[in-house]
Amino acid sequence: MARDGRDSNRGSGWIRRLVGRGDISGPVILMLGIGALFVPLFPGEFWTDVGVEILILGLFAMSFNLIYGFMGQISFGHAAFFGLGAYGTAILFREFTDGTTEITMTQFLLALLAGPPVAAVGALAVGYFCVRLTGIYFAILTLAFGELLFYVVFSWYGFTGGDDGIQRLLPPPVLRDSTVYYYFTLTIVTAAAYLMWRITRSPFGYVLRAMRENKLRTQFLGINVRRYMLVNFTIAGAFAGVAGALWGPFTRSVGPLLLGWQESGIAIFMTLIGGAGYFAGPAVGSIVYTFLQAYVTGFTVYWPLTIGVIIVLIVLFAPGGLLGVIDNRLIARLRGAGGGGGANGETGSSTRGGEDS
Amino acid sequence: MARTILEVTGLNKHFGGIYVTQNVNFKMVEGEQSAIIGPNGAGKSTFFNLLTGYHKPDSGRVVFDGQDITGKAPHVIARMGISRAFQVSNIFPRLTVLENVRSAVHSQAGVTMNMFSRADRIGIKETREYLSLCGLSGKPDEIAGRLSQGDKKKLELAIALAGKPKLLFLDEPTAGMSLDETEETMNLVDRLNRELRLTVLFTEHDMSVVFNHANRVVLLHRGEIIIEGSPEQVRDDETVQKIYLGEHQI
Repeated sequence: MARDGRDSNRGSGWIRRLVGRGDISGPVILMLGIGALFVPLFPGEFWTDVGVEILILGLFAMSFNLIYGFMGQISFGHAAFFGLGAYGTAILFREFTDGTTEITMTQFLLALLAGPPVAAVGALAVGYFCVRLTGIYFAILTLAFGELLFYVVFSWYGFTGGDDGIQRLLPPPVLRDSTVYYYFTLTIVTAAAYLMWRITRSPFGYVLRAMRENKLRTQFLGINVRRYMLVNFTIAGAFAGVAGALWGPFTRSVGPLLLGWQESGIAIFMTLIGGAGYFAGPAVGSIVYTFLQAYVTGFTVYWPLTIGVIIVLIVLFAPGGLLGVIDNRLIARLRGAGGGGGANGETGSSTRGGEDS
Repeated sequence: MARTILEVTGLNKHFGGIYVTQNVNFKMVEGEQSAIIGPNGAGKSTFFNLLTGYHKPDSGRVVFDGQDITGKAPHVIARMGISRAFQVSNIFPRLTVLENVRSAVHSQAGVTMNMFSRADRIGIKETREYLSLCGLSGKPDEIAGRLSQGDKKKLELAIALAGKPKLLFLDEPTAGMSLDETEETMNLVDRLNRELRLTVLFTEHDMSVVFNHANRVVLLHRGEIIIEGSPEQVRDDETVQKIYLGEHQI
């Protein structure tokens, strides 16, 4: 008797076991994690800093995908919680240092811890209204709230520094070294990603998928759809806040644009590039997006044009993202090798998916 | 003496100027298995929608198992013990068959807020029991959306049963099924009714299914109950013949 519901009557072989039912997220995350350990070995600080950016924005995009890929709603305002997390940390940071003294390690960690709850409270408040709607209306409302919060932060000089933002967020001396900050970030991002991974595979995670697939049916299972949407929205906001908290000390400053819709767009782009149907999709997307940006902006100012073209191509020709392409190839090959039918629907198809309904 | 499990009094619902449910009084005792028949548009699905919270009635009262459930939200009513299967099968198309039913098992077990245990280690045995009960034990890993119509119906029945209902509404449970599948499915419903004393109310277009599997038949026409009684009584009633059965070959 198979202990695990899904691996019964499957071909054996380590590859098949590794890829499970075609969910390549596990192996992909594992490879990325191992690769991530060696990034600071590249000469120069530049690539290490790019690595930190990949990690933080990757976490941000993964938190976005809890709402998009798993719950099936698109948020255009997710950066609001990234920004709230960043400001939560930055404001406490400023209070500790008065803009002049050095921050101690304890104070620094406390400031970091302040970010996620601020973001979570913001997400709870915004989500309370947004989960009443779905689809395009949900998307528009998240956009509106995101811009609203942006303007609050933008205009509230006395508290947030307005459009000047908050500067001089110098981490404690030991963390100023790129390599050290990189491993510090890697640790936190890994822990956060692990928690999200657990959540997506839990019964709660399957309620998210169920709501994505069929809200009506989910309701008739006895599940309060709005409440579960709100809980997930808040969790996603909290994880975006973790990413935001790490961002300020990394760039030494925060500004209101961190809450803006362009920033939300980054999470969406990364998710589309990597593949929204995969837990690992946004992480892969973050690598591609950030590297590409670092590379392209080296010789042209037309980065928005470049990324625009890439997104159009992905949406048209690879709606499942990069992992979707890899996954389909892999499954085709395994099938060819006599692995038996194991084509997987949920993770293998794009969230846009029009294959069945 | 059998206990009343569902009591509907003076139920009304209109959409615009059209009355889809008119002063419906209806009662079910525990353990009965009844059918609602009526021409298309008679208000059968609306009736189910009113009883399960999908629509709110304009007036009237619905009492289930001693509690007033009039106008309550669908998830609340589902929690109290009413499951339903829809006319057009209503499943989670991109999840596997097993995941579909497991979701219902998890909901019933109250573990859906659990965020840290693996979903594929909770309730699997029970899920497999429902699958085998509904003739789907050979297909746990198939993507639900790719099943045949008949299998989708079976899957929805399994989902509904996994809610461990006291009262089960089935909206055309055998639509899209072959003769054999119809027989198999209705026999299963009979068995659940007999062995678990599950109260069942179903709609059906196939009159042979209705007359072979219902203890009581209710005819709905333009939102009103025209007649109710044993299958024989309803079959022999003149009004029924005129309104409904005349259109069909029995």
